[in-house]
Amino acid sequence: MFTQLFQPGVRLKRILTLPLCFGPSAAAGHEAWLLTPEEVEALAAAPMPTAFASHIWLGLATLVGGLVTLTALRVERTFARLEDRLTVPLVRSALGLGPLILRLALAAMLVLAALGGLPRHGTAMWATPTLFVPDMQLSLVSPWWGWLAAAQIFLAGLLAVGLLIRWVGAALIGFAVLGVLVFGTAFLSYAPHFAAPGLMLVLAGAGIFSLDRMIGRDGWIELPAYQVQKLWRLCQILLGAGFIYLAVVHKLLQPTLLIAIIDHSTLPTFGLPLPVMALIMTGIEVVCGVLLVLGRLVRPVAVLLIVAFSVFAVALSETPFFHANLYGAMAFLVLSGRALPSPQPRSKRRLRRALA
Amino acid sequence: MNRGLSFLFFRRFAAGLWPTGATVLASRARRHRPGPGALLVAVLVALVAFVPLVNSAGVPPRSVFLNLPEDQPAPEIEVIPYRLPSGEWQLKIRTEHFQFTTVCVAGAPAAAIGHAHVIRNGVKVASAFHPIVDLGPLPAGRHRITVVLRAQDHRALMANGALVQQKITITVPLT
Repeated sequence: MFTQLFQPGVRLKRILTLPLCFGPSAAAGHEAWLLTPEEVEALAAAPMPTAFASHIWLGLATLVGGLVTLTALRVERTFARLEDRLTVPLVRSALGLGPLILRLALAAMLVLAALGGLPRHGTAMWATPTLFVPDMQLSLVSPWWGWLAAAQIFLAGLLAVGLLIRWVGAALIGFAVLGVLVFGTAFLSYAPHFAAPGLMLVLAGAGIFSLDRMIGRDGWIELPAYQVQKLWRLCQILLGAGFIYLAVVHKLLQPTLLIAIIDHSTLPTFGLPLPVMALIMTGIEVVCGVLLVLGRLVRPVAVLLIVAFSVFAVALSETPFFHANLYGAMAFLVLSGRALPSPQPRSKRRLRRALA
Repeated sequence: MNRGLSFLFFRRFAAGLWPTGATVLASRARRHRPGPGALLVAVLVALVAFVPLVNSAGVPPRSVFLNLPEDQPAPEIEVIPYRLPSGEWQLKIRTEHFQFTTVCVAGAPAAAIGHAHVIRNGVKVASAFHPIVDLGPLPAGRHRITVVLRAQDHRALMANGALVQQKITITVPLT
């Protein structure tokens, strides 16, 4: 393929579309299936909007987005102390409530996906088991991978009761990697957004209302504090990188699809042309992703993303369970902020005594 | 005294405190360490430079469409409706350069193999994995039928920049 590509007669179009080889190879954004046949037909002939194909327009949009973000970074410094003061109760409850929300959200998503309760558009409910998300139908891969449905139900059970949660978190990371091996590059859109919540559970444990806490098994991980914080930052980096990837592959490089989906939805456009609306949405996703990678404005970004998912879910008449993993992860980030709070010394002593 | 001083110099040098070329460069790098804005700017500049180059090719969204290579013969489709003696309707989908299959996969190759979607009055009514499709009894009136060829991963096949489809109208008389 590469030798052909660099022959003198090769067409410019083929060179320009080369980067797409590194994106998902097949249908990956579940929103695509919301479109009616007429909308799909119109989409086939939809022209590329100038805003997404012109260096000038995209450059101007980027300039505005960059300035807004840099201003927000300045504001963060000014309000850092105020945020610290106001979020004391959140931070206190982060290690208890955060993991609870995350594991219940993941449990619901896993069990629904395994039973076919999160079907893609046009597929009957409870008919086709998937891996984590509606797009990744297990019927489309070798029947040998059917055990993944049963494994998801098993993990969902452990998540719901809060047993062996750090091991379950590690298993989720393993499943995220396995998904890429089974479904190929199409799963790259989802892998970071399941690996990160898995890592969050490995670091934070089961939280309140869990069997792990009841039997005193929640404190077996004994990493130095700086390593825990580094891994917590890795969670944010994975989440942020996932958003950047989604924004680039599904929105910036397929703008006509995003525009068709906005047109299909009941999303308010405030009188803006659809390409501008699509550009704003993409910009927000890129900027949020970059800020999460940097570990800056973590709480505001998490709140903004929760609101964005909710608005989009309502506008597209989607179930919130499609993004339950992200709701859980973002809720945890709202509680904890940039750093994972360390357990109180008293509770540490209690855990050690329980383990002894 | 001299030995003591040289020993002190050695220790400072070994500890990296002596301002050698490397340590000066390292301290300069520390002073000019890029801030968070640098990554933001780098990502945004890269996107501005790269995205229009790809989008100017103007290919339709690949999440929904599978473009067949130009060196492959473009599939052709012809749809023939007929009414059975029982009063039910069937469609016969005649294709060229296309192969029907019942197998669906996660990532289909860019080949003219797959199935067809049958759409009646704007609503998908069947996935045809074989060339004969049973529509059942149709009520009296005009029915707009569109048959679109799809790849094994359900993406719509495109050849020469257009969907591979045929539209027909069935008129069912009042009995």
